[in-house]
Amino acid sequence: MSATGFTGIVVIVLFVGLMVFFSFINKDRKTKNLRPIPAYDKIIQEIKVAVEDGSQLHISLGRGGITGPEFAAALAGLGILKKVIEKSSVCDQPPIASTGNPVISILAQDTIQGSSKAISVTDHVKNPSGELIGVTPFSYAAGTLSIIRDDNVSANIHTGWFGNEIIWITTAGERQSSPTIAGTSQLTAQSVIYASASDPLIGEELFAGGAYLGEGKIYQASISAQDVVRWIIIFIILASVLLNILGIDTFFENVLAGSM
Amino acid sequence: MKIDLKSPFSTAVAIGVGIIVLAGYFIPSFTNVRFILLRTGLVLAAVALLVGIINLITVHIKKLGADSENSGYSLILVISLLATLVIGIIDMVQTYLVGKPNYQMTSWIFTNIQLPIETSLLAVTAISLTYAAASILRKRMDVFSIVFFFVVLLVLLGSFSIPPATLPFLHVIREWILRVPALGGARGLLLGIALGTITTGIRILMGIDRPYGE
Repeated sequence: MSATGFTGIVVIVLFVGLMVFFSFINKDRKTKNLRPIPAYDKIIQEIKVAVEDGSQLHISLGRGGITGPEFAAALAGLGILKKVIEKSSVCDQPPIASTGNPVISILAQDTIQGSSKAISVTDHVKNPSGELIGVTPFSYAAGTLSIIRDDNVSANIHTGWFGNEIIWITTAGERQSSPTIAGTSQLTAQSVIYASASDPLIGEELFAGGAYLGEGKIYQASISAQDVVRWIIIFIILASVLLNILGIDTFFENVLAGSM
Repeated sequence: MKIDLKSPFSTAVAIGVGIIVLAGYFIPSFTNVRFILLRTGLVLAAVALLVGIINLITVHIKKLGADSENSGYSLILVISLLATLVIGIIDMVQTYLVGKPNYQMTSWIFTNIQLPIETSLLAVTAISLTYAAASILRKRMDVFSIVFFFVVLLVLLGSFSIPPATLPFLHVIREWILRVPALGGARGLLLGIALGTITTGIRILMGIDRPYGE
């Protein structure tokens, strides 16, 4: 086994161990020990608004595929979609889900059907739908505009993999004066979202949806596990800088090269 | 009593395949199995594209019937999709009959319709991005937005090749911003995304997140 493979296994085992540990010690805790993320508060607020005035929420899941790192962002978006459907089950109008990837479209429909069944929304008219809008970045963005411009849509939630074309989607929401909550794992699109969305999700905030939307203790445990690993990474970076300044770094490189 | 076997079965398959593919990255003896599973996934994704297109046509045909202001767009989409499909099939048949690749009509569509449209949209995107950067202070007047705005301004000024943007210190500032704070910030964001990605993956492998139905 290579050093990279061994490190990978150690990281995964560490994460699983921390998640189990934190879910165990948080078992009896009633309150959430999380820093506030305004975008998630806004989602909850917009669900309440949709229930009150009978409007719809639009959730776009981006155009990430299943074979690359963009799939994680799409999965995070699907998790948020599931929670929104569950929380908005008493709405007159069900949420609309749109995607730019056929696989995510199928998964979105499956999530919608599963969540609707779980909350006993059996009325076919009330059942929300997942639509494939377009398979290229601009066709997806252009197709999404017509949903955003629908007067019945009160807020737009964009969570998934997007490129720079998200600027079209976020500015369309702004023109409609509807709140736009957006998050992606693509770096350049994150800066676009920060500049154009009313409530951006930056960095790993996209993956914290389950914990903030009340999915369960294990989601809060995974946030705590991320924090612990983040501190470990910070410590390693600072230690590396210190070792570099002291000129000891090459010693460890030689040791690692000799043993692995 | 009705027992739903679909959910435990799909969960078991997803977890099993996920663990084998993950193990393939770390343990060399699992590499071949990982490639087989990934190739199978790619084939299924291609089939999903067909399902997605059927979904797209169905949705837009329904919109045609509805009294909607967007029904005109739906009509254009359905006609364009079917026309492209028919032309693609004709090209495929010709390729089969001639015995060598012959996709003239399909490539004409891409060169003369798809490419100019996407290029124009890219130009509009550039303008929209500039507008968004300029209007950020109107949206959120906080410290981070002010920093964002002035950094964008400095980097843009440092990129121009006309006076007064050619002042040497502007180029130096731009290079420093790109090399030190921007790169550091990007790495910080990437680390956060990587941590989020790992926990999302682990939750799926543990069967906590099930995006394939309940």
